[in-house]
Amino acid sequence: MTAPRSRRRQAGGTPSLDHPAGLPESAARRTAAISLPTILTGLIPSGIAVLVLAGLAALARLARPTPPLDEAAARGLLADDFPEAQIDRIWLAADGSAALARSGPRALYLFRLGDAWVARDLAWAEAASAPVREGRLYLRLPGVSPRLARPALAGWVPEIA
Amino acid sequence: MLEAPFDPVKLAVPFFILAILLEIGLGRLRLAKAEYEARDTLASLGMGLLRGVPALLTAGLVFAATVWAWEHRIFTVPFTAWWGWVAIFFLEDLTYYAFHRLSHERRFWWAAHVNHHSSQHYNLSTALRQTWTGSLAGTWLLWLPLAFLGFSPAQIAIQQGISLVYQFWIHTEAVGRMPAWFEAVFNTPSHHRVHHARNPQYLDRNYAGILIIWDKMFSTFQAELDEEKPRYGLIRNLGSFNILTVAFHEWIAIARDLASARSLREVGGYLFGPPGWSPDGSRETSESLRARWAAREAAARTPAE
Repeated sequence: MTAPRSRRRQAGGTPSLDHPAGLPESAARRTAAISLPTILTGLIPSGIAVLVLAGLAALARLARPTPPLDEAAARGLLADDFPEAQIDRIWLAADGSAALARSGPRALYLFRLGDAWVARDLAWAEAASAPVREGRLYLRLPGVSPRLARPALAGWVPEIA
Repeated sequence: MLEAPFDPVKLAVPFFILAILLEIGLGRLRLAKAEYEARDTLASLGMGLLRGVPALLTAGLVFAATVWAWEHRIFTVPFTAWWGWVAIFFLEDLTYYAFHRLSHERRFWWAAHVNHHSSQHYNLSTALRQTWTGSLAGTWLLWLPLAFLGFSPAQIAIQQGISLVYQFWIHTEAVGRMPAWFEAVFNTPSHHRVHHARNPQYLDRNYAGILIIWDKMFSTFQAELDEEKPRYGLIRNLGSFNILTVAFHEWIAIARDLASARSLREVGGYLFGPPGWSPDGSRETSESLRARWAAREAAARTPAE
């Protein structure tokens, strides 16, 4: 291991570090090499490979089984996300793709995404006062995505304590 | 040497594709555990495909800063010296550990890293669910000390690439456990499944890149437990496969929190506190989740009187 002779010396066999633009010359060359055709040349074949792999993943049918929810399954899945929640009552979507539970002052919402389940919690008062149109509850959710859920809950009659 | 003569990641792309094909094939034939959901796979691979585009915004700055640091180096490590490669293997891996721990324990950097954890699946495609905003978040600064020490920008870039390629194969459920000596020293599929799990006892554990020894040294190691099957994803999982949502959702959440902040303390907490920090403590952090899990476990072990 040797100390450099000078703080500003040029490395042997490497491009000059004193590029007029202030960037090292190789960085400037690198920037110049970034053009739309260059990017597309790399992205297009890679994009095709991505689509082929995702297509094969679909054809292989390796998704997890996610049968329609029943009450026991919904309680079990909610317990993963809210292990301390005492569930007072639970409503299931008619197609088994979602569930809404009351846990004291909180509403716990569970919905299917692909072959997995996603949970959210919000104030019970908000869930209870959410509008119902054509049999669907219009539920505003916290978080970035999704902002709105529209489950068709069987027997939905909210009771505000 | 400034520019790397080769890029390990580019060279490994055919291996990535073949390995994913193999994992899907073995899963299809029920010879190995492999769960794939097409839209989840598309999101993961799409994140990997486009990861380089946002990085172009900072590529020049990162390269110039690294070269500047190298110009002001303390020592000179010859590119061809074997001991230099041994040294950078350990030092880069330690740097990766620090970067990865920071990326989980402070929200500003978590916002850049969270997308990698946003899949509820754990397969080889998850490995490619890479950050789009990491370089904008400045995590590259952590590697500058290596250039100050005397490792050339090319050598640093190559070792970073080697680390990334190594970490590809550990994103799988197809491999159970490796031989004990390997599990003791290296990051493995088993160790990294723990890292991707959202079970409270697994949160913020196993930050390793190649060597698991750093987690053991810094008390962040957790072995995979047979009785505790990992559940993958986030504390509150994403409800979308949209890659823009995957890439930016935590940044959007930070912006909303900052808009509601009422003091500099709150601004600091929302930006640099642990993920889940809130002024009144009403949200959940990894630490609070783990503490409550430990309390539940202790209560369950206490015989009823």
